[in-house]
Amino acid sequence: MDFQLIRHLIGLRYRLLWAKTRTRSGKIALFMAGYLLFVLVAVFFAIVGAGGGMVAVRSGQAERIAQGILTALFTSATVTCVLLGFGMNEVFSDTELRRFPLKAVERRFARHFAGIVDPFWFLFLALYLGLALGLYLFGAGSLVLGVIAVLALFVCNYLAAQVVGRAMERIMQQKGGSLLLPLIIMVVCFLPSVAMPMLKKHAGAGKVVLRVLAFTPSFGAGTLMTRTGPAAFAGVWPIAWWGLGLTVALVILEKRPPRIRVAQTTRIRWDTPYARAAKIFGPRYAPLVEHWLLFLFRCKRFRIAYVMSLPLIPFLLFMWTKQAARADPFATAMGVFAIAGLAPAAAFLVNQFGYVGSGFRRYFLFPMDPAAALRASSVTLMALCSVYVGLAAFAWVLFAPGAWGARGIVMLLASGVFGLCFFHGVGLWTTLYGARRADPNKTMGNDLSLVGNVVVVGGMMAMLIGPMTVGQFHKGLIAPDRWLVAVGLAALAACFYLFSLRSAPAILSSRREALLAVLERKA
Amino acid sequence: MDAIRIQNLVKKYGLKTAVDGLSLSVAAGTMFGFLGPNGSGKSTTIGCLTGLLDPTAGQVEILGHRFDADSADLKRRMGVMPETLGLFEPLRAHEFLAFVGRMYGLDEGSVRTRVTELLDALELTDSSKTLADYSTGMRKRVAFAAAVIHSPDVLFLDEPFESIDPAGVALMKEWLNRYVKQGRTVFLTSHVLETVERLCQEVAIIATPGKLVWQGDITTFGREGAIQYDGQEFDALEPLFLHLTGERHVDLKWL
Repeated sequence: MDFQLIRHLIGLRYRLLWAKTRTRSGKIALFMAGYLLFVLVAVFFAIVGAGGGMVAVRSGQAERIAQGILTALFTSATVTCVLLGFGMNEVFSDTELRRFPLKAVERRFARHFAGIVDPFWFLFLALYLGLALGLYLFGAGSLVLGVIAVLALFVCNYLAAQVVGRAMERIMQQKGGSLLLPLIIMVVCFLPSVAMPMLKKHAGAGKVVLRVLAFTPSFGAGTLMTRTGPAAFAGVWPIAWWGLGLTVALVILEKRPPRIRVAQTTRIRWDTPYARAAKIFGPRYAPLVEHWLLFLFRCKRFRIAYVMSLPLIPFLLFMWTKQAARADPFATAMGVFAIAGLAPAAAFLVNQFGYVGSGFRRYFLFPMDPAAALRASSVTLMALCSVYVGLAAFAWVLFAPGAWGARGIVMLLASGVFGLCFFHGVGLWTTLYGARRADPNKTMGNDLSLVGNVVVVGGMMAMLIGPMTVGQFHKGLIAPDRWLVAVGLAALAACFYLFSLRSAPAILSSRREALLAVLERKA
Repeated sequence: MDAIRIQNLVKKYGLKTAVDGLSLSVAAGTMFGFLGPNGSGKSTTIGCLTGLLDPTAGQVEILGHRFDADSADLKRRMGVMPETLGLFEPLRAHEFLAFVGRMYGLDEGSVRTRVTELLDALELTDSSKTLADYSTGMRKRVAFAAAVIHSPDVLFLDEPFESIDPAGVALMKEWLNRYVKQGRTVFLTSHVLETVERLCQEVAIIATPGKLVWQGDITTFGREGAIQYDGQEFDALEPLFLHLTGERHVDLKWL
């Protein structure tokens, strides 16, 4: 193993990160602030982890609680990684590494080592370490074994996220994959809420589940952290087997990339559903809308995000609302309806030109106002996202009929319109001021700019937690009898969108050179 | 009439000057070669001539009209094959060309006929592949097809022949020669000087940073004649180009 070269590659990964930052004015300060924040968050997470350790010890069930916390962390890291793409960016591809004198094993090691030293993963490492430290400080485990358990679980966690991400990509490439994947996700999402009442009913079932869970890496790590002496080694085997199994699975998935399905026919089809749908937008915008529809549905990233929203929205609508029953389910549902207008195309609506690459320059070569391209893209994305607001309303009427009456439905729809208009309006501005070149065929990883991430992640968090918190502290403040306020807010958001649709594209020409530099990787 | 006229064109990126007071004119019905070493400002000049970049100073006239980024009517009469090709990779060749044709105002019937004919001629008939699956040469062919689909009066081609196989290049040259004979204009850049010498009637050579160092008729080379410059006689484009842009001899002992 050529560790010296691998070390240089890791160094290069951080130099690239720095180079990317310093080329844009003002970004250095932002970068420093970001990392300062990162350190603070890591410290906070470590303290939270240590707090968890303390609770575990005081409850007298240190091992069981540690296992529970570790399982929750493991699942959150994997889900965040796969859904939001954090920590999944491939810094160097295998093809890029082939130019260096590295063997296949060394290339794989270098790629994944560069992946695991991502700042995102360090946050979870801090949490795991915090828990191990907490357990040690409160006398429930050995520090050495705790650190070993944390490192082993950390590697397992990274491998699990990679395997899940790649498996999802593979499913999407299969015939019928775009239907199968949301189905699988829906089953996984709804399984705990279906299983929990059953487990409560049958006392013996819980023990069976725990016995099965004892074979998971997080339970193994919990055992290793909290026991001492030879008894601790009972926790080694699950981690070791899972580590080995996930490594083998990852190698197999990487060695046999999904076969790309190609159309069997070589006949050119002119009258496509995209062309027919685009005609609704009139002769001026029809070619542009058709182009955007074709482009979006050909992008793997868009297809996956759009299809994944199918189980995500009902899950949030019914499960999240149920979870928040103690707070205010109606207020929580309001937040979910707002998210329905953002989630299906989040990465695209805040970075509308980011995926077109050098095609971006075409909009300035055509004999038209380039602003029309941005307007067409925004309107197309809005039309596609509005389908989900409609679906959410339909599901609500179907599964929660009469819960809050007709006014409730109007209010929820108003919240959906608010989310659509507000986020799509903000998306127009982030497209101009927070663009970043992204790969349309990459299915994993987060390729948004800082501003894009703030809008997408911040927007989703605000909509999920905000109305729920308001509902908890001021019960009745978000209630169907205030439907007029919701309609008013939706109208305001619609005005904001119309203003953005009019003003933002108008400054596209003046931002042309800066955007060209970013999108063609000259900045 | 001049098809292209550039007067004192300056393009600066911050403190860096990419094009420095460039002035030249290209007569209609000419195959014009625009040459220069790497980084001398050729693509930047084409960017200014096609409305992609705003000149810092100077003036551009296309087909007798003052041109800027908002000149939609002039853009309709121009075809551009950019250096970066400007393709939408997830699309298929016919979808991309049809989109380009529609954006240039062609009616549906003309779009379908022209796309089919272009794809047949350029051997791009596999409609199951997206542009991302194409080889570099095939992608260049698609970008060339996109530049000519609306039958423009002026064509800007940035390194059109690099990476294309000899048969493809021969076909493109044939089309371009016929195109120029109809009184239309081609403005092309290339590093393949033999091709430029055989294809172009006139050449401009620029040196870093975007300064014109020579412009003239090169048909003399085809008639086995020579060009006099700086007291020397040049019987081909390559020695003239190297003389003007600075020939370098660096010996690496370890290589």
